[in-house]
Amino acid sequence: MVDEKSVSASEPLDLIRLCLDEQIFVKLRGNREMTGKLHAYDSHCNIVLGDATETIYYLESGSEDVKSRKEKSELVFVRGDSVMSIADASNIGKTNA
Amino acid sequence: MSAVPTSASTSNFLSDITNSSVIVKLNNGFEYHGVLSSIDGFMNIVLENSIEMVGSKEIRKYNELFVRGNNVMYIASQ
Repeated sequence: MVDEKSVSASEPLDLIRLCLDEQIFVKLRGNREMTGKLHAYDSHCNIVLGDATETIYYLESGSEDVKSRKEKSELVFVRGDSVMSIADASNIGKTNA
Repeated sequence: MSAVPTSASTSNFLSDITNSSVIVKLNNGFEYHGVLSSIDGFMNIVLENSIEMVGSKEIRKYNELFVRGNNVMYIASQ
């Protein structure tokens, strides 16, 4: 049975496919974020990022402020189960609403 | 009219609310307010024009955002 919705509605993973070879922004478990160029992905959200920068947010004891540090890697494979969300890095902060 | 909780009706709910305004809450406290543009059987979700919130604090805005299904606690239609 073909209804209009299923024709127009694409799969969520299609959004990731459109981000191939683009800079993406990935939120990870453990207060981490990563940006880099998306080289490959699969249905588990395993991803391979090139020229990646990982930002790790943490609290230092005795301080209320959230601090962050960055770690860079040339090529990194991120296991899918630590991925929370993925967005095109160039579109963050912009909405049409 | 009370909906019978069958697996058919839960997936009907999900297909009914695509392209409408939703709130997606994740297990780790993050909440996303946006328009549900697609969803699959893993509950992977794409939201359009979404706002990332923690409590009542706005963190970020996304034009398009993919959320991995395992993090989803609920999807509420508005």
